[in-house]
Amino acid sequence: MTLANRQGTGVVVPVERNDQRFRAGQGTAAGLSIVFRKFRKALFGKPNSDRSDTEGQFNVQYPEERLALPEAYRNMPILLFDDATGHELCTSCFQCERVCPPQVIHITQAKDPATGKPVPSAAEFIIEYDTCMSCGYCAEVCPFDAIKMDHDYELSTSNHPELDVNYNRLLRPVSYYETIAPTLWNDVRESAMKKLQNNIKRRPGAIGVDHGQKVGAKAAPAAVARPAEPAGGGASAVAPAAKRASVAAIGKSMSEERLAKLQSIRAANQSKRGGAGAPIDTAHAVEADVAVQPSTAQVAAPDAATPGSVAPGATGPVAAVGTNMSEEKRAKLEAIRAAKRAQEGE
Amino acid sequence: MLKTEELRINIGPQHPSTHGVFRMLVTVDGETLVDLKPVFGYLHRNHEQLGEVNSYLQNMPFTDRLDYFNSMINNHAYARSVEMLAGIEVPERAQYIRVIMDELSRILNHATALGFMLGDMGAWQTALLWGLREREKILDLFEYVSGARMMCNYARFGGVARDIDDYFITETRKLMDGLPHYFDDFEGLLTNSEILLARARNIGVLPKDLALSYSVTGPVLRASGVPYDIRRAEPYAVYDRFDFDIPVGTVGDVYDRFLVRIAEMRQAYRILEQAFQQLPEASGGHINPKVKQQSLKPPIGEAYARVESPKGELGFYLVSDGTGNAYRYKVRAPSFINLTALADMCKGYKLADAMVILGSIDIVMGEVDR
Repeated sequence: MTLANRQGTGVVVPVERNDQRFRAGQGTAAGLSIVFRKFRKALFGKPNSDRSDTEGQFNVQYPEERLALPEAYRNMPILLFDDATGHELCTSCFQCERVCPPQVIHITQAKDPATGKPVPSAAEFIIEYDTCMSCGYCAEVCPFDAIKMDHDYELSTSNHPELDVNYNRLLRPVSYYETIAPTLWNDVRESAMKKLQNNIKRRPGAIGVDHGQKVGAKAAPAAVARPAEPAGGGASAVAPAAKRASVAAIGKSMSEERLAKLQSIRAANQSKRGGAGAPIDTAHAVEADVAVQPSTAQVAAPDAATPGSVAPGATGPVAAVGTNMSEEKRAKLEAIRAAKRAQEGE
Repeated sequence: MLKTEELRINIGPQHPSTHGVFRMLVTVDGETLVDLKPVFGYLHRNHEQLGEVNSYLQNMPFTDRLDYFNSMINNHAYARSVEMLAGIEVPERAQYIRVIMDELSRILNHATALGFMLGDMGAWQTALLWGLREREKILDLFEYVSGARMMCNYARFGGVARDIDDYFITETRKLMDGLPHYFDDFEGLLTNSEILLARARNIGVLPKDLALSYSVTGPVLRASGVPYDIRRAEPYAVYDRFDFDIPVGTVGDVYDRFLVRIAEMRQAYRILEQAFQQLPEASGGHINPKVKQQSLKPPIGEAYARVESPKGELGFYLVSDGTGNAYRYKVRAPSFINLTALADMCKGYKLADAMVILGSIDIVMGEVDR
């Protein structure tokens, strides 16, 4: 019989209420036997790592341990730039801005300073992370594969304006995206790079490689607090707290003695951390500089994560790669990695 | 003779047993409930107006936020109504994928709903965690295939966003291996439990004719003895190809609703088995490549498509005026209509039973208030 001709059957079944057979205490006894069976398994059975097993312990000690995220996982959108040339993939075609359901993407197209004509590159790119609904349409419609969904989910902050994320902080190197979604990127890499090469030809001067630094210079200092992060995602989990806080405002509306107290606490904290304490503002400046050139250190990151052996301390997306894939995909990934290693070995 | 006086009490809107921001204005005589007035609207998000402002595709992620336990089914229902409006054909494989997601979603929803209902009875957390355990694994599968756990945004016009691969199928198979044991355990733990029997049997009876006149649907209607299931009454997707039974109750009380939900989980499992069997033979891809997604402009007309969501009949009504966004957009939310029967179900029972009866309707305020 072919599929289309198949006719399902079924009847109406009244549910069994067990009115006649019911005896006092019977249900409790039956239930308790199940509880004890489970209890025994939880205590003496071996802990399960495979979540498809139905019995045993499944605890994940969160900040230290993390569940592997699938490649398709989508949290917040990021923008990609090419490692080799430093060119941004975005051409400001406004597709994502148009499709965005909560309309949180704001793009300004770059203009050639000499002629005043528009250039296929974005001068300004802001995504309001606080209103983004993580639907993933922007990544889906992007014809240049410039916008992708990040795996970083630890985005909480006490500084709300920081959530209007500007170009500086949206940009990630392609190598970073490759670590979180290797097969997805491999599917589109060729066409994306080809399109990028075409666009580079149409970008005069430093347009498209400045990574929105001119935007950053104009923006309020708080917004620059987290510049384009280096590859590896895990980096964000290591020391974000120290970078983010903008404490300049505190202390303005305080009495003299409270201010003195606050300062003494801060000094104590500073010495505890062991830093003579570079002022926060200069730290920002240094980081912003780092972001300008895609350093070689960033490119090397993906090799650290070979499937099966995850480097200790590597958290987040890096740990996920390779543990959560079909055989076919894993083989594909291995091939990609081998090719890359060979290329770098030359 | 002691003179008694009726007392009006507000339960909610912020109350742990009201499943969201829902207020019950209750009149009690001693412990006995004389009258109940449901008050809702605290979670109104202007969903239907948004659907008329947004383009057809843009509205898809908003439907995730209606019944946030079953975003897969919401997506399916909405996509179906747009497909009906624009006359889009859906490939067979996509239909099967949708059915698989729907049935996984049904198991997830019923397990959680029963857990919450038992939580209302006083089995706080323990029974709920039994429900959440299976839900967690199914959400992992959803995350793998769609990218998000709850707000899946998986359906597209003419198919689904991403094809399922071997990994998904083997993982679902693994999960399904454990499901019958899970149902047995769930039932063994609870079905004959004295606490459940005392709190659920002959409580909140909704007679057949009253259920029909309230236009109640889903497990609540079936527990009252009406064998009405849209998968049978008006088969959509490929549901006419599966063998499955329709469990119905005999009394229409809370206990029947509990039993019907467990039986439905078993039927969902049956459908899943058959769907995976038939999936390799299905023709077509995961999406109809000819369909425009972003710039879809259906011809002038109207469409109403409905699916059997775990809570009842979920329907989307759309009127197109030929432009890129709907002229009128209306959601027939099962929770909302089932909730209107609450007052008649509660009258005459004790105040503490009102929580259990509310839990047995299985409402999600995101869908009720929209």
